[in-house]
Amino acid sequence: MPHRTFLFFILPSAVAMFLFIALPIGSVILQSLHVEHGQVLVEVESCTPFGGCKTQTRVDAEATAALRAEAPLGRWNGLGTYMNRAHLATAELGEIFRSDTTLREKFAQVYQLRFYRALFFTLIYTFVVTPAGIIVGFWIALAVNRLPQMLKGPVIFVSLLPMIITPLIGSLVLYWMLNSRGILGKALQWLSGNPDLSIAASGPLMWVSLILYGIWIAAPFSFVVFYAGLQTVPDDTLESAMIDGANRWERVRYVVIPHLMPLATFVSLVQVMDNFRVLEPIVGFNAEAHAMSLSSIIYTDLQAENGQLFGSAAATSMLTIGFVVILLSPVLVRTWREFGKRAH
Amino acid sequence: MTTLHTDTAQSKPRQRIPLISVVAVVFVAIWLVTAGFPFLWTAWGSFKVEADFFSRIDWTFALSGENTTRQTGGPFTLGGYQGAWIDQAFWKATLNTAIVTVFVTTLSLILGTLGGYALARSGRRYAFWLLMVALVFRAMPHITLVSGYLMPFFEWNIWGTLPTTIIVLVAINQPFTLWMLHSFFLSIPKDLDESAMVDGCTRLQAFRLVIVPVMWPGIITTGLFSFLLAYNDFAVGAMLLSQENQTMIPKITSFMGSIEQEGNIMFAVSAVVSATVPLFLLVMFFQRQIVGGLTAGAVKG
Amino acid sequence: MAEIHLKNVSRRWHNFTAVDDLTLQIPDREFLVLLGPSGCGKSTTMRMIAGLEDVSSGEIWMGGKLMNHLEPKDRDVSMVFQSYGLYPNMTVYENIRFPLKIRGIPASEHKQRVMKAAEMVELTPFLDRRPAALSGGQRQRVALARAIVREPNCFLMDEPLSNLDAKLRVSTRAQIANLHHALKTTTIYVTHDQVEAMTLADRVVVMKGGIAQQVGKPMEIYDRPANTFVASFIGSPAMNLIDGDIADGTFSNPYLTVSGLPHAARGPVTLGFRAEDVSVVSEGGNLSAPVYSVENLGDSTMFAIKGAHDDLISLKADKTARMAIGETVHAHVPAAACHVFDRESGLRIDGFDNQAVA
Repeated sequence: MPHRTFLFFILPSAVAMFLFIALPIGSVILQSLHVEHGQVLVEVESCTPFGGCKTQTRVDAEATAALRAEAPLGRWNGLGTYMNRAHLATAELGEIFRSDTTLREKFAQVYQLRFYRALFFTLIYTFVVTPAGIIVGFWIALAVNRLPQMLKGPVIFVSLLPMIITPLIGSLVLYWMLNSRGILGKALQWLSGNPDLSIAASGPLMWVSLILYGIWIAAPFSFVVFYAGLQTVPDDTLESAMIDGANRWERVRYVVIPHLMPLATFVSLVQVMDNFRVLEPIVGFNAEAHAMSLSSIIYTDLQAENGQLFGSAAATSMLTIGFVVILLSPVLVRTWREFGKRAH
Repeated sequence: MTTLHTDTAQSKPRQRIPLISVVAVVFVAIWLVTAGFPFLWTAWGSFKVEADFFSRIDWTFALSGENTTRQTGGPFTLGGYQGAWIDQAFWKATLNTAIVTVFVTTLSLILGTLGGYALARSGRRYAFWLLMVALVFRAMPHITLVSGYLMPFFEWNIWGTLPTTIIVLVAINQPFTLWMLHSFFLSIPKDLDESAMVDGCTRLQAFRLVIVPVMWPGIITTGLFSFLLAYNDFAVGAMLLSQENQTMIPKITSFMGSIEQEGNIMFAVSAVVSATVPLFLLVMFFQRQIVGGLTAGAVKG
Repeated sequence: MAEIHLKNVSRRWHNFTAVDDLTLQIPDREFLVLLGPSGCGKSTTMRMIAGLEDVSSGEIWMGGKLMNHLEPKDRDVSMVFQSYGLYPNMTVYENIRFPLKIRGIPASEHKQRVMKAAEMVELTPFLDRRPAALSGGQRQRVALARAIVREPNCFLMDEPLSNLDAKLRVSTRAQIANLHHALKTTTIYVTHDQVEAMTLADRVVVMKGGIAQQVGKPMEIYDRPANTFVASFIGSPAMNLIDGDIADGTFSNPYLTVSGLPHAARGPVTLGFRAEDVSVVSEGGNLSAPVYSVENLGDSTMFAIKGAHDDLISLKADKTARMAIGETVHAHVPAAACHVFDRESGLRIDGFDNQAVA
């Protein structure tokens, strides 16, 4: 296809992506290097006829507004925001590692730092939910494949629900069942014999709930993809494996799984991307006290009651984008190599 | 698919139902309850009062509707729905969602088919790079972009309106739409465009008269996913829409904000159930396309 | 109708050259076949003529006009694709009519022209069907009808028969030959099947590695292959090629001695001869080797012996000839039937004419 034709076809899409994805990234970079103006303070001398004069410090609302209007980005802060306590916390990290404490204590201290806390949860969530979802999905696919034909349609229908459901809605639905007044929450209290048990009060329980939610919405995707993959397993190979004496499990192990491997790679790529951005369950479960993700701390900064913290949100966003690129890099490198081989 | 179980039937004819089948059925049954029960339960509960669905005393109230009967005179009540739809103007959020999803889906498909076609047919290095960039964009959490939008949108005074949100969602949607349509276009033989061009078409004519008519299934499937993305969006809508322009999902979170008030949570429950209905219908009517779309991406992507 | 002229045409991608400095003069009304193995550049050459592929360097002229930068639609060619390229959403009638419609030919003429084209390829009963409801052969005929429905400068056919089964291939081949006879439009035909090339072509271009190895009438190429590649590609079975040494007009190697060859060459050569030019004898002869395989073909029997590089050398014998594997076969290879090629370059060494066989 000639360059000109290509340009003609791609232009609308490319312009949209440039304006609303590439430029905003630029805007994020710029914002991350600035910090909001503080309030302009003025010294005011207030004199009362008899009491003499007092000097007071007051917020000059007018001047503050003027300053914000004049330089909406705030003032230049360089990499200051990246390094501060709410983000990479370099100074604090240095102190923690210099201090004479056990590794366990060090970890506990690092975990107190907001950014690392969020990063830790995000990574755990991503790398527990992704494989677990794939494994659960694979087993569902194998099991559904054995069902009579007429049952498959309805089973797939129900299975799709957790996946296509709006994540926020899905998390609210589960949360309402899991909280201390919901049916599952009550069941947990009954099982544990502890009438005060509540996911809102227990960190580990909250984590487990979030991860279960993650698997609940992730498994159907793997299931559908693997189920479709199972339909294309070559009968010839399965039959020759049978003739060669492979039992059921060996056939799964040596024929079915290798056949599904490329699909598993695809599914894990998509799932890692989706799980890494986890936000809605933390909002839906009202979990900020026990678990925060990279997305959720950006959300919190932008939602802040007294003035949105653009600089802070932007710095976290940049760090998050950095992690996304790192996560994707194996895929990018591999695809690039394959393209190199394919190119004439 | 049959081979996996015909083997038992063939090698050991007329056996008792094999254990593994029982295990499979039990496993599927457990999964079905896990997947479907939460929705059933919430839908059921949305017709109760808070004291029943979120009972401090006895969970069976949710089934029997003790308090619902006491408060409203019947075991079921539409109180939650009335509160959400009428008192809290959830109908307006629904209307906004309808506007947003229709425009986002249409625009995404128009831009996406053109772009996806170019990417599928170019085969040049820059097309490959564009796809890779799109993949990175696809992977970026939406909220990271939102933090880039807010300040410029405030400055230009376009924050809070539906058109802004629509354009942003279309753009965020593009990487995914491009990838999906690109793989659908790859499945259409190049011969087709080439015959059309030798027969006298320009590229655009070949695209419009020959390729698009063949592409409809792919376009519909991609459209479904664009719709889902717009419908399910939380990060963009919650941050970029003003109070009066809110779509359904941000609106539901705003119900949650005033949860302390007795009964308000039932507004949220009914709103959630209401917002689930379109998705439910979507899966019902387009199950085949959704499954096809998921696997098309997997097989070719 | 027009004559086509390729001047030093090349097509390169990064570090790969698909077509290398190809010059071809195709007179009006000629049926030219581009023949070669896959990846030899024959399809690329044709696609460049169609305008589907950019020309890296060189010029393509058609009817006195430079084509290099024209869009496919402006070149006025029609093309039959290997997988037919039918529009699945249109009926056969609409498929055939599409070029007329898109080129703005008055609607009043459409019906009559479509019917005429459909008649020529015997498609009249199927006009209302969609391509999915047709057999492979019928689809191929739709593609042909779509190509002939207007009168283009030239027809381009890209392996049009390769998706058909053997029987259909023969009848469609005849149909194409007949169409060309009736329409007399310049035709460029790409194939890897030497039988199609031999039966259809006015002239054949044998290609390999992007380079035209030999251009000529089918019989010229059969009788006087320009190099070992052409020799091994044309004819069924392919020409036997045997390495050996030549001195004083005598070729020798461990199992074959041919004398009476002209004295034009000496040193290491490759000797070529065709299976059908050999006579298998009960004793004597200038070739003797153990039989590796025996194939009864009905009208004849083929013996194969193993050459020096594990290549098979076939010998055609009478259908009554009987031999067991492992027995020694004796045969006479006449000098007049031999072609000599330089071992190093593979090029034909002239002065070895085999008119006696032709």
